[in-house]
Amino acid sequence: MRKLKRHLPATVRTLLGAIFIYAALLKIADPVAFAGSVAAYKILPYFASYLTAAVLPFVELSCGLLLVLGYRVKGGALLIGVMNLVFMIALGAAIVRGLDIDCGCFKQGGSKTTPWTALLRDAVFFAMTVFVLKAESNRTKQTSPQQF
Amino acid sequence: MKKNWLGTIAEICLIVVISATAGILWNRTLLTSAWRGETAGQAQAAPAGEELPMPLGLMQIKEMFDAKQAVIVDARSSVDFAEGHIAGSLTLPLEEARKNPASPFKVKLPADATVIVYCNGFSCHDSMDLGKILMHAGYATVYVYEGGFPEWRDAGYPVAKGGA
Repeated sequence: MRKLKRHLPATVRTLLGAIFIYAALLKIADPVAFAGSVAAYKILPYFASYLTAAVLPFVELSCGLLLVLGYRVKGGALLIGVMNLVFMIALGAAIVRGLDIDCGCFKQGGSKTTPWTALLRDAVFFAMTVFVLKAESNRTKQTSPQQF
Repeated sequence: MKKNWLGTIAEICLIVVISATAGILWNRTLLTSAWRGETAGQAQAAPAGEELPMPLGLMQIKEMFDAKQAVIVDARSSVDFAEGHIAGSLTLPLEEARKNPASPFKVKLPADATVIVYCNGFSCHDSMDLGKILMHAGYATVYVYEGGFPEWRDAGYPVAKGGA
């Protein structure tokens, strides 16, 4: 049990990072399709959809890599948390407006993931992010000289 | 503590700037064409970059329906189709068309046929997606009926059940 407790933070951090790297690579492979997925939310204008499709996957990739490598975890995890919140707001807006769209979160143009499923999944990712941030702040506290 | 937070914010900004630069450089051709308002991805063999199917309204669709000028295609699932569809329409769920995008129809349909695609109304994008697939498959005249089955049914126009 103690062993599990010791390794859990690193496991969750690596897993979360790996999920974001995977999601990013799928989008980088097909930016046009991802731009279509972004446009389907009907939130951003034409060019902004393409700009988001060009930039967002690279932010996801950077954060994912930082988490997996365990380097600058706080910054990476905070950014992942912010992205997750933005995704959840966009999905919520899609649900409220009754848009029948694919979330476009992972594989583009594959099997459809409804906004509700995606929202639930993002909530899990968000919880993982909070856990990673908490673990990170505990770790830095432990290594600081104020520790009893 | 405050210094700590400032450091983290600077870190986040740095991550965003580096990633954004990488993303913009990586997709520079796509972004340039999108900025010029060209249909994206034309230069590559990417699936987009096509002409989009033209949207049509209820009255125009009804006229074409009455004149039997077009083949009407239902992009919804076969279950939805069985529950009710525009009379005389063919079922071609988007998922099935995606499996065989080169020749999506089971029946033979000449490439010069006028095709109207519909699904579940304005919030549904399956008809537009199916329309794009059909245009890629070589059908030149593809329209999307954006009001879809709900609008047609509510207007009291001919519907049929079953036959999926």
